[in-house]
Amino acid sequence: MSATREVIANGNELAARAAVDAGCKFFAGYPLTPSSEIMHVVSDLLPKIGGAAIQMEDEIGGVAAAIGASMSGVRSFTATSGPGISLKAENLGLAQMVENPLVVINVMRGGPSTGLPTRVSQGDVAQAKNPSHGDYKSITVCAGNLEECYTETVRAFNLADRFMQPVFVLLDETIGHMHSKAVLPSLEEVQAGIKLRKTFDGAPEDYKPYGVGEDEPAVLNPMFQGYRYHMTGLHHGPTGFPTEEIETCRKLIDRLFKKVEAHQDEIESNEEYMVDDADILIIGYGSASLAIREAVNTLRAEGVKVGMFRPITLWPSPEARMHALGQKFEKVLSVELNQGQYLEEIQRSMGRLDIEKLTKTNGRPFSPADIIEKVKEVF
Amino acid sequence: MAFNYDQYLRVDKMPTLWCWGCGDGVILKSFIRAIDKLGINKDDMCLVSGIGCSGRFSSYVDMNTVHTTHGRTIAFATGIKLANPDKHVVCVAGDGDALAIGGNHTIHGCRRNIDITLILINNFIYGLTNSQTSPTTPRGFWTVSQKAGNIDPTFDGCKLAEAAGASFVARETVNSPKKMEKIMVEALKHKGFSFVEINSNCHINLGRKNKMQSAMANLDWIDSITVSKKKWDEMPEEEKRNHLPLGILKQDTEALEYCAMYEEVKKAQQGQRGVITQDDFEKKI
Amino acid sequence: MAAMAAPENTPVWVNTSRCKACDICVDACPAGVLSMQQEATSILGAMISVVTPEACIGCQECELSCPDFAIYVAGRKEFKFAKLTDASKARQEAIAKNGYRLPTDYKEAN
Repeated sequence: MSATREVIANGNELAARAAVDAGCKFFAGYPLTPSSEIMHVVSDLLPKIGGAAIQMEDEIGGVAAAIGASMSGVRSFTATSGPGISLKAENLGLAQMVENPLVVINVMRGGPSTGLPTRVSQGDVAQAKNPSHGDYKSITVCAGNLEECYTETVRAFNLADRFMQPVFVLLDETIGHMHSKAVLPSLEEVQAGIKLRKTFDGAPEDYKPYGVGEDEPAVLNPMFQGYRYHMTGLHHGPTGFPTEEIETCRKLIDRLFKKVEAHQDEIESNEEYMVDDADILIIGYGSASLAIREAVNTLRAEGVKVGMFRPITLWPSPEARMHALGQKFEKVLSVELNQGQYLEEIQRSMGRLDIEKLTKTNGRPFSPADIIEKVKEVF
Repeated sequence: MAFNYDQYLRVDKMPTLWCWGCGDGVILKSFIRAIDKLGINKDDMCLVSGIGCSGRFSSYVDMNTVHTTHGRTIAFATGIKLANPDKHVVCVAGDGDALAIGGNHTIHGCRRNIDITLILINNFIYGLTNSQTSPTTPRGFWTVSQKAGNIDPTFDGCKLAEAAGASFVARETVNSPKKMEKIMVEALKHKGFSFVEINSNCHINLGRKNKMQSAMANLDWIDSITVSKKKWDEMPEEEKRNHLPLGILKQDTEALEYCAMYEEVKKAQQGQRGVITQDDFEKKI
Repeated sequence: MAAMAAPENTPVWVNTSRCKACDICVDACPAGVLSMQQEATSILGAMISVVTPEACIGCQECELSCPDFAIYVAGRKEFKFAKLTDASKARQEAIAKNGYRLPTDYKEAN
């Protein structure tokens, strides 16, 4: 294995570099605090390698152009914050329906509405599950440190091509703007791990892009290579042509779910920190996990046996693992920078409502002291 | 020998779902003849459409086709084109699609002068959704959303495109399929944003309540409000106001095209040239 | 050009599986060649019919204005087309006036 790389950068810059290293050749977006550095970096890096980055006229145009490039077969992404996702939502639904791979980075800031543009929040976790109308199964990963801004972005590109759908990478203002040392995997290792979308290489007349197994993603060949087919946001049959035929419509939406649900093992990623011998379990993700980790260390030094469960893949949620942890731990605390968006998922997975919660929605990050105080107060 | 359209169609999808006598089919035919005349390979073209009756245009041509969301056609096409600058990208949109919900993308597609051909099918109404007012519905017309008569001023898409920076702007009607074909040939050949408005009939949802119940009556009305650019130029102002000029209204072959300009960005970023400065452009403000 | 050969000795022919009976081609014909005819199984209860093929002048107006890829005209090398006559014009006028249907009792002018 080749040597790792040590860099000093912020989370947004690392996510941008990860995209380029993962073989992405196209970016389209619109400036939105606190995500803009991602566009700043790729607008330099992409033309350097023969790719392109374009600042569009609005958020909707940003995601549309990124999806367009991806429809043509080019690895592509966009980056924004919550207000941008709200605007992009309809086209993200199109990408779900067409089964178009795309990475969407959301550097979360305080909301709702214009909210707290320069301050942190984890308020878009529920939005990431269902940004657009209609039924589909979201894939969302959440970086918990600087390294993961890089590695999770790389993973998101591979997941997008594997499952042929948009994949959200959630950063938040704290992590996006945290400037520090990060140890990254070598470029060779990243490039060796690139897995591009499946393609069909048989006779064009036999090509049925959506005629796949009930738990498989569509097989969408790049454009301009002799496989002419139709992509539409309407319900469609095996060739991509619109239809309202009852069985075809049912199968299509069933498949959008099954292609994710049947392969959750390829998507799920969690960290368990000092969980094995713990009495108290804290669940948190993203930048909140930085404070939780510190709190666990401090409490442990005081003799309080605490551990942390950190979902890295937020959607689909690690429901089976959380259910098992819910059986094992009587004392569970959920910590997040919103009013309890993921708490609902924890309650559902564990099948119980007696989960303690620590929330914050004033635009400030957690400090370890907040968490230590809460643990001492409730347990 | 008759022209064989089937070579460019997804024949198993015929007949189209458009109403009897709908101009969309006439436009599709003219477009196919233009492609054939230019000898463009079907594999080298991507056709992008939005929502509305015009949105179904993409499903009938045997090309790389995308049926996108309402109004966003040009934005999707911009991504496809910039990622594949050597391929042909054509957008088909309606008047509601390109001038109302997608107006911003139309403006900025024109402004960038990116090499995309937009065929804007203007039938002066929201046809698919049953007769709501569109930005081009004439004042005083009945619409289902303004039954007392439309009071909204009308948009001239060609003037908008010209002002926004499209380097090729033209208008034709479904009454002249041969002229339409010629204009499409010129538009497809043009390097830069080509804005082609085709005035079309919707006797079902525009005509029905506006005394044009047959396709022919609707087409006659289109004939009465349109005139060649040459004749239009000679008209007194008060007559100009009530007529739309037909033909090529703007053709600027010198204007810088976006994908070509982006090649300069690549060169600058790759150290093959200096950064792009004001001196690289004629216009300084 | 993507071309399609005309059936033998046929100036104008129709693909009835595509025709929606919109009347446009009948209206466009200057020579009274086409007429709508009652057809109970068709969408609008009518279907296009080539009633006087011998009068076709090969102008292609019907083909160009058809929105549905349903009507085709032979090339000049494939068929010797007629000249536009007063009788053809009169027939066309009678068809247009009669709701795009050739009157059943129509008498040809000489």
